[in-house]
Amino acid sequence: MRLAGKKAFVTGGRQGIGRGIVDAFLNEGATVTTCGRGARPKGLPPEVTWLALDVSDPSAVNAVATPTDILVNNAGVQVEKTVADSTDADWDQVMGTNARGVFNCCRAFIPVMPKGGSIINIGSISGNVADPSMALYNASKAFVHGLTRSIAVDHGPDIRCNAICPGWIETGMLDAGFELAKDPKKAKQDALVRHPVRRFGKPADIAAMAVWLASEEAGFATGQLFTVDGGMTAASPLNPGLF
Amino acid sequence: MKLEGKIALVTGARGGIGRAIVARFVKEGATVYAADLTPEGSLDAHVDDGVFVKLDVTQEADAIAAMDQVREAHGKLDILVNAAGIEIEKTVEDTTLEEWNQSFAVNSTGTFLTSKYALPLMREAAKSGSSASLINFGSYDGFIADPGLAAYCATKGAVHALTRAMACDHGPEGIRVNAICPGYIDTPMLQSFFNGDGSGGGGGSIETLQKAVRDVHPMRTYGTPEDIANLVNWLASDEARYASGQLWVLDGGLSAQVQQMKL
Repeated sequence: MRLAGKKAFVTGGRQGIGRGIVDAFLNEGATVTTCGRGARPKGLPPEVTWLALDVSDPSAVNAVATPTDILVNNAGVQVEKTVADSTDADWDQVMGTNARGVFNCCRAFIPVMPKGGSIINIGSISGNVADPSMALYNASKAFVHGLTRSIAVDHGPDIRCNAICPGWIETGMLDAGFELAKDPKKAKQDALVRHPVRRFGKPADIAAMAVWLASEEAGFATGQLFTVDGGMTAASPLNPGLF
Repeated sequence: MKLEGKIALVTGARGGIGRAIVARFVKEGATVYAADLTPEGSLDAHVDDGVFVKLDVTQEADAIAAMDQVREAHGKLDILVNAAGIEIEKTVEDTTLEEWNQSFAVNSTGTFLTSKYALPLMREAAKSGSSASLINFGSYDGFIADPGLAAYCATKGAVHALTRAMACDHGPEGIRVNAICPGYIDTPMLQSFFNGDGSGGGGGSIETLQKAVRDVHPMRTYGTPEDIANLVNWLASDEARYASGQLWVLDGGLSAQVQQMKL
């Protein structure tokens, strides 16, 4: 029970990675609150507090900020477009949730966070190397990476702040991506071969890193981007074996 | 007890960071082979519970003999930690060829040789279904340079690239390969740097230098060997089963900042 007695706030805990982190934190003894747009999802464990909250709304976020040991900024959306195709509404949606949402939550929670608090932002490998036709998403994650370092520098030693950069994780988002391919089955096989561990990630893989970063064991870890992607970005994207 | 039933070998096991890793692995239930030049620790004479193996990482015959010993006793190796390392505190111009070669022999070739003879045993371990974990020691100096540590920076850059290469080559065999890149950690190596053996001294008192170094860190301190052992333990455990091919910087936020200009 590495998080016994800790209070955690996880944004976007309805499904996918967020839900994986909620479950892992509960398992380690934390008291967990999560949030999302709309009603409480079915199947969320009863001990978890659910708040209907849009993180892109600053006054709504300010209204729910209470002293919290662990803040996980996980809520995120993606729009699959290039810069040329992106509309103003796309900008507002992606940057509103992925960039402004993280900022809103950090600004609201930092002043009330107890000494020793840990902020964990969900960045992305796409914030370091670009995914095609994901322009605003890639940029929003690079924003998260930069903000992570800034918070670590400005608010150490009281607060640690790190980001986890997941690779391809088996969520609804990943399957939707493959469905767009000309040959979804072949696309999936190609993607698998590009992973040295020969599988995609699971929400629990990211949650394991989040638990460590939230725990006292990570007391010297701050200002960093921790990539958990099955080795994908360690390999050059130009893989002669695939030609 | 995250490492129950696991067989581990740690090189540089009597150094500052190596000792902490051996102690942690023992605590987590692993069978630990503590490999180094001598059984005496560099911090004190206390001998922990690891099984001592005499290993000069620059000698191929030593690497073969150490792995033979593990093979005879267990037939497999779940965890290899390449923690042996040396640091020559000089610029390129001042570094002799002998010092350059010795730096690479220990830090880079040593990592290569120990890994080379450990991999067949790690493949055996991976057949159990849970992946084997190989952990190298890079450094934040492999990304951004500390002054007067030229050969050291270069050897660590080599370790970083070797880590990615091994992750690609041996991932499909169930072997995860990662490197930990420490920043300033309170070890005999750091104390020697403070003592002014090379560029670290700078003429001022050790206390002034230590405070200056602390103040540059966002966490306002440098790390302990136990901080490093915490991450080694996670990477060695099955919880890290999807972590491979990465360079894990652990430096109290030091390298997250741009240069702190003194204007």
